[in-house]
Amino acid sequence: MHAISKIIARHADRESVEVGEIVNVVPDYVMLNDRGAARAADLLRQMGGEKVFNPSQVVVVFDHHYPAIRQQDSVAQKKTREWIKEQGISKFHPGEGIGHVIFPEKGYSFPGALIFGTDSHTVTNSALGCVATGMGHSDIASYLALGYNWLKVPEVVRFDLHGEFRPGVCAKDVALRIAQLYGEDAAPYLGVEFAGPLVAKLPMAERFVLCNMVIDFGAKTGYIQPDETTRRWMTQRAPNLQWLAETTDSDSDYSRVIDMNVSEIESLVAIPHDLSTVRNATELSNVRIDEAIFGTCTGGRIDDFRVAAAIMKGKKIAPHTRMMVNPGSRETFVQAMREGLIDVLVEAGATIGVPGCGPCSGCHQGMLAPAENAITNASRNFKGRFGSPEANAYVASSATVAASAIAGRIVAPSELTVRSGDSHAH
Amino acid sequence: MHIKGNAWTFGRNINTDLIFPKMWFRPTYQPGEMASHLMVGIDESFPSKISRGDIIVGGQNFGCGSSREEAAAAMKEAGIGAVVAPSFGRLFTRNCINVGLPVVTSAHIDEQVAQGDQVELDLAAGFIRVLRSGYEARLPPMAPESLKLIEDGGIANYTRRVLAQRRKAAG
Repeated sequence: MHAISKIIARHADRESVEVGEIVNVVPDYVMLNDRGAARAADLLRQMGGEKVFNPSQVVVVFDHHYPAIRQQDSVAQKKTREWIKEQGISKFHPGEGIGHVIFPEKGYSFPGALIFGTDSHTVTNSALGCVATGMGHSDIASYLALGYNWLKVPEVVRFDLHGEFRPGVCAKDVALRIAQLYGEDAAPYLGVEFAGPLVAKLPMAERFVLCNMVIDFGAKTGYIQPDETTRRWMTQRAPNLQWLAETTDSDSDYSRVIDMNVSEIESLVAIPHDLSTVRNATELSNVRIDEAIFGTCTGGRIDDFRVAAAIMKGKKIAPHTRMMVNPGSRETFVQAMREGLIDVLVEAGATIGVPGCGPCSGCHQGMLAPAENAITNASRNFKGRFGSPEANAYVASSATVAASAIAGRIVAPSELTVRSGDSHAH
Repeated sequence: MHIKGNAWTFGRNINTDLIFPKMWFRPTYQPGEMASHLMVGIDESFPSKISRGDIIVGGQNFGCGSSREEAAAAMKEAGIGAVVAPSFGRLFTRNCINVGLPVVTSAHIDEQVAQGDQVELDLAAGFIRVLRSGYEARLPPMAPESLKLIEDGGIANYTRRVLAQRRKAAG
């Protein structure tokens, strides 16, 4: 069995499960965001459920519409505050950041765990060697009523990553390369494992980026075999937590293994309005950037701030460009302040927003006007994702977004380094 | 489950942001409200053009992206008979099953159906037919648990039933 199957089996109280089988499972934690909590509470009532089955396993975060931007959101958030009190849900994080960033920070996700959430990017957690997947509101409402949910055991595809990154290239470029080569449906319904000598060297932040993006290849969950890096993360984050990492039995537990040499990858950009249409950043130098959108569950971690600040230190964002920054979590925000990274970004001309989803489906803080171009280190460039459906969104790495904000047009981070000292090239 | 209806066709990688744009998100919905925004990210007049029993035929990876259940729920509420595509986004598939909307995978079906074609399909018998051309294909078998959930009208009905059983058992 693959480790993913073993994790599902354990949470189904079974010795083993078969790929393709549907089993009822009891997750370790379920994340409800502001939208999910409001809808699931409503649907739970419609299903005739009065009490949440296991309130201690439920974590509520406000990340999409917080602080409330419309009265309907503040009304919904008020109702949710009352509802969690009434239901005895004590794990509540309003405005502390994006669920998928704070889950690993607070030790809600851990190796061998099963995590559900009312958001597609719940898969991010799977970088810790757990099974983590998004669910619909009715799905979660049913879990709240019954304490379990149905899950199909997925086949697993493995990407073996090896080679050395070129300067300025990182995990996000690998994800974009996979989208370029294999499409937005590279892994429909599948588990996607990342392995190989490159992954062994990647810090947790880069691993979260890889696993965050698997939903945008159609996957059910990511997976990275826990190792020393994972253990260090857990010791730091949840020193008293007992966890059990699973292992995969053999190579025959994979439906496919794909070998990828990252040395060949350049700084990549997904162009509107589809993640699988990908170009080298250097080919897009004629794309003028109106707004750089920095943060989200893909690119809002402290490591991203360090990368951006290193590129932007002592420089100014191009006069015709604006940059909207939302830290992924309160902890990230505080750490970035301590390290002076926020100073660097603000002095360069960036606008700092609250920890949370920001403009990426957060419906606020930096919406685009028609015909405007944005570059973002988020995961998606769907039409209308950041405001006007007539706007254009380009998806790239944190380094490429920071470099492009300075240049005022799309550049690869390596180009900016080479040209440092030059004035803005327009 | 036997379904027959007129087809509305869509392309590849149609994401749920297009099927149900986020500007229409609400914490609670009035009856008919979700259906009134179905597919408006692609065609603003779509909700007024469709009739109950119509079938949506998408391209590869239909319903990819965000987990928004409204995409599936709006189709169900609009009376869409089934949604058919060569492949689907995982969360969309799951949400369709949970709201009791037949979600049917059929290879190359997007190349066989034109807008307005009458399409007939049967989940139990496992076939799909395009009446104009006579095209017919076998459907891959659906997991019996999923088929049952659809036939039962979705996960809400299932949950109500299990809750009732529990209450009865508790006396």
